[in-house]
Amino acid sequence: MKKTISLLLALVMLLGLCACSKSTGGQASQPPAQSSGGTENKDPAPADPGQYEVTEPITIIWWHALEDQYSADVERIVKGFNESQDLITVEAQYIGAYKDVNEALVSAHAAGSGLPAVCVANTDYVAQYGANGVFENLDPYIAGTGYDVNDFSTGLLLSSQYEGKQVAMPFLHSTQVIYYNKTMADEKGITIPEKIEDFEAFLKAGAEACGGYGTMIPGWDQWYFETLYLNEGVKIITDDNTCDLAGDTALKVTQQFRDWYDAGLIAWPFGPDASAGMRQTFYDGKTFSVMHTSSLYNNYVDKCDFEVGMAWYPAATTGGKNSEVGGCVLGIPAKNDQATKNAAWQFLQYLVGKEVNMDWAKVTGYIPTRNSVLTTDEGVKFLEEKPAFKCVFDNLNLINPRIQNAAWSELATTWKNYMDTIINQGGDVNSESEAMQEEIDEILADHG
Amino acid sequence: MTDSPARTPPSGQTGAQEKKPLFTARTKSKIVDFLFVVPALALLALFTYYPVAKLVQISFTDWNLLSPTWDWVGPKNWIWLFTGSGAKYLWNSLKVTFLYSAGEIFATLVGGMILALIFSRMTRGFSAMRAILFVPKYVAMSSCAVVFMWILNTDYGVLNYFLSLVGAAPVDWLGQKSTALLSVLMTTCWRVLGYGMMIYLSAMIGISPQYYEAAALDGATRTQQFFSITLPLLSPTTLFLLVTTFLSSMKVFQSVDILTSGGPSRSTEVFVYLIYRYAMVDFRMDRAATSAVMFFLILLGITVATMKYSNNTVNYDS
Repeated sequence: MKKTISLLLALVMLLGLCACSKSTGGQASQPPAQSSGGTENKDPAPADPGQYEVTEPITIIWWHALEDQYSADVERIVKGFNESQDLITVEAQYIGAYKDVNEALVSAHAAGSGLPAVCVANTDYVAQYGANGVFENLDPYIAGTGYDVNDFSTGLLLSSQYEGKQVAMPFLHSTQVIYYNKTMADEKGITIPEKIEDFEAFLKAGAEACGGYGTMIPGWDQWYFETLYLNEGVKIITDDNTCDLAGDTALKVTQQFRDWYDAGLIAWPFGPDASAGMRQTFYDGKTFSVMHTSSLYNNYVDKCDFEVGMAWYPAATTGGKNSEVGGCVLGIPAKNDQATKNAAWQFLQYLVGKEVNMDWAKVTGYIPTRNSVLTTDEGVKFLEEKPAFKCVFDNLNLINPRIQNAAWSELATTWKNYMDTIINQGGDVNSESEAMQEEIDEILADHG
Repeated sequence: MTDSPARTPPSGQTGAQEKKPLFTARTKSKIVDFLFVVPALALLALFTYYPVAKLVQISFTDWNLLSPTWDWVGPKNWIWLFTGSGAKYLWNSLKVTFLYSAGEIFATLVGGMILALIFSRMTRGFSAMRAILFVPKYVAMSSCAVVFMWILNTDYGVLNYFLSLVGAAPVDWLGQKSTALLSVLMTTCWRVLGYGMMIYLSAMIGISPQYYEAAALDGATRTQQFFSITLPLLSPTTLFLLVTTFLSSMKVFQSVDILTSGGPSRSTEVFVYLIYRYAMVDFRMDRAATSAVMFFLILLGITVATMKYSNNTVNYDS
């Protein structure tokens, strides 16, 4: 009896605390985490060059996701900025993969403290950060300092916007490509198909040549396979805010993946170690090709003891051969104070500048973001150094921005989990796709 | 009659004669005692009750962790948890969590007990072996998980290499629904077995040898001695291990995050990972809070039931 009373009292206390903690119900109220003023995305302020100047010495933090192999380059580039002026000192901090950076940023944003001055973000997160004011609207800075953004590729610039506001700037960008064993391809006379109709024959030839898989399609990130659906005409989010992943066209694509998997022609790596595992399989020659991000070009070339070829994804049956932009953008967390934001803006301009961007493109597999590079002698020189990138340069205008929807993170998690069930776990294509569509429709409806 | 000295004076006139203290000595003592626990209570309220209360509050909002504002949505999240897609994942996570918990408890109790019996000799050699078995408990879970990720790798893992030596086909330990949870449990077992052994061993040392001498004189075999003396007298230790292992296993996160990220097909999506996914991957703090409150209530209920049950069944006579 005594224990029951104690338990009841504890629960009453808990609910009492809950009721006391907030008295405004039923409508939008104050932030759960304290926010500093002036952080909301607003229309560009009237241009005032002095408004964004750095007037006192300041040390700022840059969070990035560039792994250890790039640490010397990061250090060199940051040092270049620190030595170029006297007021701002930048400290670069490696946080982890994009997922880790997101967690750290979101936590710091919710807490309202410990934020970096500049932060990278996977293109996936731009919509969420833009919709919720995590990143500062850069339009007033661009207008106030007269910064020229016209040199950026239009697609990349759009990828850094949310509802027309420039909430980030293009930084390190990539796209989906196929890496293949060029040495083996030349020996066996295997060519990368231009059309998806010829892909199965290619897979068979590749699998036979290497004694493993024809290709590996990353299942851990829907970005790698969503473009194959989009090119077939599947509208992942339809105009009436529903999902079409259980429609006839989508089912055909999914069934095709499943058939290839069942025939042993493809692997569908999934899970936390899947990326490293897939790369190792390719290095070891156990798969003829892999579908991966162009940013890892240098990595593949350095690790493989055969020549690595790079090809564009095959065109869909509709003829569509678009791809989607990957990589990361740079943003300024909106809850920083204005002095930090001003310093961040200076550093951000340096990082996305033409020279630094070319530097990154040379040491990694990221593609140059500037029109003035892509269409000039510099682009030609870049291609001479990395001829495999011709397939990317030839199709630059086909690289589209990501789908921007506030429900995208939830949708993507659901989609890739169901795809794993269908492909790797032997789930029924039709029933699982229908269950997935129903769930995604619920997510989309909930977000309105 | 008029000069009777025994009359009680009217109220308010006593102070002048004998001043009654505001608090009795006993009440004073109670207040002082209470003041001593106030700092602890304040901290507890701030770091335990307040966050729990806040969670309850968030579960009735639509806060997404990023937005500076939120709206009250009433019981919407709770309805979703029990009737929408949330129900599917709630039951799945509960199932996975309890399966994992049962596995860890079994390994700690049964495995620990067996090891304690095997390694009970108090010699230097056995001491060294006990230390070797115990050390994994102090290896960080993250490091441990990374090592097991390599051991369990389908193509390059040590485990599949040994299997190949006996002609067995490689197993996708972390990639298949049927083996993923088992693989996470293997990692856990490696860490907890030595701990269970040490706790049992120290409790066994505390059992008076006279019980065994008396039993031996009565002709009891070693097996009979174990089941009639050792096991009953170890029940407080078993209860301790059961409760602590249960609570720690219900909170498992790191190994799942590193080894499987809750997959494949959510077959290792334990409850804490589910909460993490809602909050940090899906940006649904409202749903994360609702699930967390639900989890809190489940754990509270189980703990109360366990304590009630244990009071009637545990033998504290050793």
